[in-house]
Amino acid sequence: MYFPALLYPCILGMLGLVHAIPVHQDSLKNLVKPQAETIILRIKDHNKLKLSPKIFIDPELYPEVPADKPIQGLGSIVDTLTTFQKILQKLPNGNVSQISTDLFTLLGNLKDRMKSLRCTLKEPANDRSLDAFLENNATHPITLGFLALDRLKQFMQKLIINLDHLKSC
Amino acid sequence: MTRFIMLALLVNFITISQGLSALSPSDGQGGVYEDLKWKALLCCELPFAQTLDGGLSEPPPVGQCQLLNATKPEFSNTSPTLFGNCLDILCWLEGERTNLICNAKSHRAAAATSLLNIRPQLVVQMNVRSDEIMSTGSHAAQCAGEETVMCSVSLHGNDATVLLTISITLNETTALSPKMQVSTHHLRRPDAPVNLHYNVTTEGEVIFRWSDTQPDSYAVNYEIRYSSNSSLQQWEMVKVKGRSWVPLNDLSSAIRYTVQVRCQSHFSYWSEWSQPFYFTLDVSYIPAEVFTAPGSEVTVSAVFHNRSWSASKAVWMLNGQVKIPESHYRVINEQVSAVTVTVDEPGFDTLMCCHQWGERFKCFIAYAKIYTQGMFNADITCQSKNSEEDTMRCEWNKSTWAQVRLLYSSRRYTMCETISEMEGSEEAEESMSLVKECPSGPGDHRECTLRNLSMFSCYKIWLEVEGGRGKVRSFPVYVAPIDVVKPSSPTDLEATTLPNKTLSVSWKRPNLPVYDMQYELRFVALRGMANTQWKVMGPLLEPNAEILLEESCVQFNVEVRCRRLNGSGYWSDWSMSYTSVVYNRKAPEMGPDFWRIIQEDPLRNVTNTNVTLIIKQPILAGDPYSCVEGLVFEHQASGRAVWSNETTLVQFHSFQWRKEAHTVTVMSRNALGISTRNRNITLFHQPKRRVVRSFSVVANASCVHLSWSLLPDHPVPQSFVIEWLDLNKDPEQDMSLIERLQWVRVQSTARDLSLCRRFYGSEEFTLYPVFVDGEGEPVRYTATRGNPAAYILLLIIAFLSMVLFVTLLISQNQMRKLMWKDVPNPNNCSWAKGMDFRQIDTMENLFPHSEGLTACPLLLVSESICEVEIIEKPHPVTLEHEKDNVVLTYNSGDKTTTSSALLADSSEPLSLEASTAAPTPETSGQSSVTYSTILLSDQPSLLRKQQESLSSSSDEGNFSANNSDISGSFPGGLWDLENHVCSDSANPRHSSSYNSVEEFSDTSDQDYEASENTGVAKDLYYLEVNEEEDEDEEEIKETQGEQEKNEIVVRVDARPLLESKDSTSVDSNNISHSIPLYLPQFRTECINPP
Repeated sequence: MYFPALLYPCILGMLGLVHAIPVHQDSLKNLVKPQAETIILRIKDHNKLKLSPKIFIDPELYPEVPADKPIQGLGSIVDTLTTFQKILQKLPNGNVSQISTDLFTLLGNLKDRMKSLRCTLKEPANDRSLDAFLENNATHPITLGFLALDRLKQFMQKLIINLDHLKSC
Repeated sequence: MTRFIMLALLVNFITISQGLSALSPSDGQGGVYEDLKWKALLCCELPFAQTLDGGLSEPPPVGQCQLLNATKPEFSNTSPTLFGNCLDILCWLEGERTNLICNAKSHRAAAATSLLNIRPQLVVQMNVRSDEIMSTGSHAAQCAGEETVMCSVSLHGNDATVLLTISITLNETTALSPKMQVSTHHLRRPDAPVNLHYNVTTEGEVIFRWSDTQPDSYAVNYEIRYSSNSSLQQWEMVKVKGRSWVPLNDLSSAIRYTVQVRCQSHFSYWSEWSQPFYFTLDVSYIPAEVFTAPGSEVTVSAVFHNRSWSASKAVWMLNGQVKIPESHYRVINEQVSAVTVTVDEPGFDTLMCCHQWGERFKCFIAYAKIYTQGMFNADITCQSKNSEEDTMRCEWNKSTWAQVRLLYSSRRYTMCETISEMEGSEEAEESMSLVKECPSGPGDHRECTLRNLSMFSCYKIWLEVEGGRGKVRSFPVYVAPIDVVKPSSPTDLEATTLPNKTLSVSWKRPNLPVYDMQYELRFVALRGMANTQWKVMGPLLEPNAEILLEESCVQFNVEVRCRRLNGSGYWSDWSMSYTSVVYNRKAPEMGPDFWRIIQEDPLRNVTNTNVTLIIKQPILAGDPYSCVEGLVFEHQASGRAVWSNETTLVQFHSFQWRKEAHTVTVMSRNALGISTRNRNITLFHQPKRRVVRSFSVVANASCVHLSWSLLPDHPVPQSFVIEWLDLNKDPEQDMSLIERLQWVRVQSTARDLSLCRRFYGSEEFTLYPVFVDGEGEPVRYTATRGNPAAYILLLIIAFLSMVLFVTLLISQNQMRKLMWKDVPNPNNCSWAKGMDFRQIDTMENLFPHSEGLTACPLLLVSESICEVEIIEKPHPVTLEHEKDNVVLTYNSGDKTTTSSALLADSSEPLSLEASTAAPTPETSGQSSVTYSTILLSDQPSLLRKQQESLSSSSDEGNFSANNSDISGSFPGGLWDLENHVCSDSANPRHSSSYNSVEEFSDTSDQDYEASENTGVAKDLYYLEVNEEEDEDEEEIKETQGEQEKNEIVVRVDARPLLESKDSTSVDSNNISHSIPLYLPQFRTECINPP
């Protein structure tokens, strides 16, 4: 007669356990890593002949383009990638379009994972300084694209090293 | 009453309508603008209307209205009627230029109102005038009321001028106001300035500029505020009057500034602050864009806003890749650098001014653009596709920095050649259709796909550089899509390998394009896929082909492609690969031959053994009209069912054997059936019968010969299998045992076999007798053959040893010569007379025979042949003196060895033989000596050395053997040669000749050391030398009998020179002599050749 009484909490416990099982992160790692590597390779091909290797553009002069942003979880990754996506969308059509598409897909995957983890998705910030920066430099798309892609490549390399941060919001 | 009012309104409306058409907007301003409102005071004179008797009435009287100053109303005392009929008019904007609302309110005196008790009827008419509204029609509103009327008209968000008219009716008298005009622009705050930007002068001054929203702005004053603080807490304010620009000084570089501007209208209304403008000063180019012509000089200046950057360290880069030489630079001032370049070709280029930063250049995002007008070569190539949707894909080259757009236009029914010849003419331009653009738009593209094309039109295609105002463009290309078609691949490919060694192929051409096609076919045999070398055949004009093959029954992969037969076009892609079908008339007759490898894994289950069948290649069907397409392996284990595996043409087939009787039959198959004559193999685990008696393998340089014999009275096997491992294949390179194992089947009647191929000579061959019911006991034999390399190595070592030995001989001889040259001949010494030097401890035995030996050297006739007869006897040495000759006989034991035997032995590996040098003219008169010395030892082998010396010095060398016994005896001989010249009157040139044979024991070196150190005597034996003359054989023949009679024999005393007491004995037939120690060991008589 005690069996149904024991069974009920047992079933509830099982359900709670199932609910508490975290989403397996390896699948996301396996998804994100090849995407990041693909973007890196595309950027290398794109930036190969644009500028002489002797030329470098000081990153401190352009704080609007993310540089060396810390990776502290999915939220920070999505924020940074959103900024990059906004920059790439301002660049002329062409080879950058494919990189922009790749980045868009990667962002979508990360946002989906944030939803599954019930992370708080930030609304896109109305970054007027970024808009103004893009507007002021719209007449120099080649160097702007070179700078943005170079930093995006660095961020992708950093992301590959810090794939464990995909576990947290 | 009502009818009267209606009539009045009607009249009023007609009047206003007529009046509007006649009025201009500037007429009748009326009111004042104050506090974002428009105000007016309207006063009207309204006389009373007179009503006649009899119902007749006069026309209604018309009043008059006058606008007074609304801010300071001056009511005229002279016109009491006006004072009593005034209206306050107030207009304002509702919302953001949504509606204009006007309110008219009667201003009559209370007394008048009470007396007459009549209220004035008001009608307000509003008409909007603006360019936009006028274009779409008049926009108006009319409102009526008593004493107060509020009327609204929609502005649709635009500024407009509204005409306002009010009619007032009182006591049947109507008065119409003058036309009033309200400008909505003055009823609101001015818009904030827009288009904020800045310029930089060549002096480095930053000029900040903006624009008003409307050209006819009433703004008169501006305020600019800017901040470098991101929190925008601190602003710098600048006031500007009457102009829309201001220089901003004291700005720093690398700081993000936020700037805002607002303006003030005539009515002192301030606008809101403009949208913030952000900028960071780094480098500015003057001009930022240059339009030039090819060959013209272009000068561009760059301003460094960073004060720490000096223009003297500026580095100019052309297109971000090429550093412009410094000779083209010019320093304007500390912060401004200029460069002058000449661009020869039309196109787009960029200039970047960077700052030297160590080995690198620190640059900014900004760059200057140079547009060189003209046409550049873009190498535009197109390739069209004629299918359900005709498309054309074009590719081009361009500058890395240029943003381009692809433009095209078409002309139907005209050949491209005709249009290109008309290039530049108006007719050609007119004949082209409207210009269209690539759907991708401008950008960094290098290709574009055009759709919805007409294959038979001519298209003009070119590039334009974005921003080049249409003057920087590429040379156009004229393309007819039908001429650049890349067709679809042929389809429905079929191929058959026929028995007559023919590969028959057919296919179907694509439907479009409709012109004639040519084809190319390529094929590769499936056998040996590692070497996939396609063979190409073509061009073919028909959609089929037959290819003669070297062998039948081979499957091929076949692919086909096509292109236009006559005219331009591209090859299609290769079609899908098709594997040919092998045509057969019947099933294979016989199965393949095969053998097995049994591999037992000791670590795994011992009951299961892995068996691999090796199929003999190639697999023949046994009939030319049937081919083998696959194999069938049929298994039958004891007590179990029969099962089979069907495979392709494999080389190996593995299965698990459970150590029970297991029979495997391998059959060939094709589509028509399986073979009937098949070979099988039966595996048994029981002990096997032994039938082979012997098995041997002999290898030579290139072949291995195997032979075997069977035991009698045993059943004859069905066949033999010989297997071995191919040592040529490296087992470390993933060569499994299965792949390395070689085997051959031999008929049962054969008893030997020759395998000629590359063998290492160390292979292990295994002979398996194969019976119908299983295998017999195998026999193994390892072929042994010296490695040729080892032989060569051995020969080299032997040669080097010989060279070393000769070198040692020569060097030792030289040393000995130096040492012994000045030693006097003891025979000449008085004290040595009669002394026996051979034995130090038996000196008394030496001296008695001193007279027997003369100092006469062993003079022999040169070029004479000396026979050496070695007689080994146990008797003591005897010296026999004869009258005419001297015979030295050596008897040592019972053995008698002739020189011929010695010569035969000279071929022994350890024998040393010094060949006699032929006399040269210079040395022909010298002596030629051959020494023969025999050392008895326990070793059976003898060392023979024959030397012929051509001079006395060389004699010394030849004598200097590394044996103390010999070397100790030679000096005496030398002295003999020096002191005793055996003159030959007949042939004076031939002084003497010695033949010497030295025989060394293997331990001669040790003996040498022992004798040197301890002085222990060793046996030195003399050879018996038969000297013959060989100068003239005829003479020899003539004197043969005489020679026999007077045989010149040098008998060697077999007694050791340093003879021990025991060995000293004298032959009774010979006269025994004791040889002095330093006397020559060989004594000869001077012989005169007959």
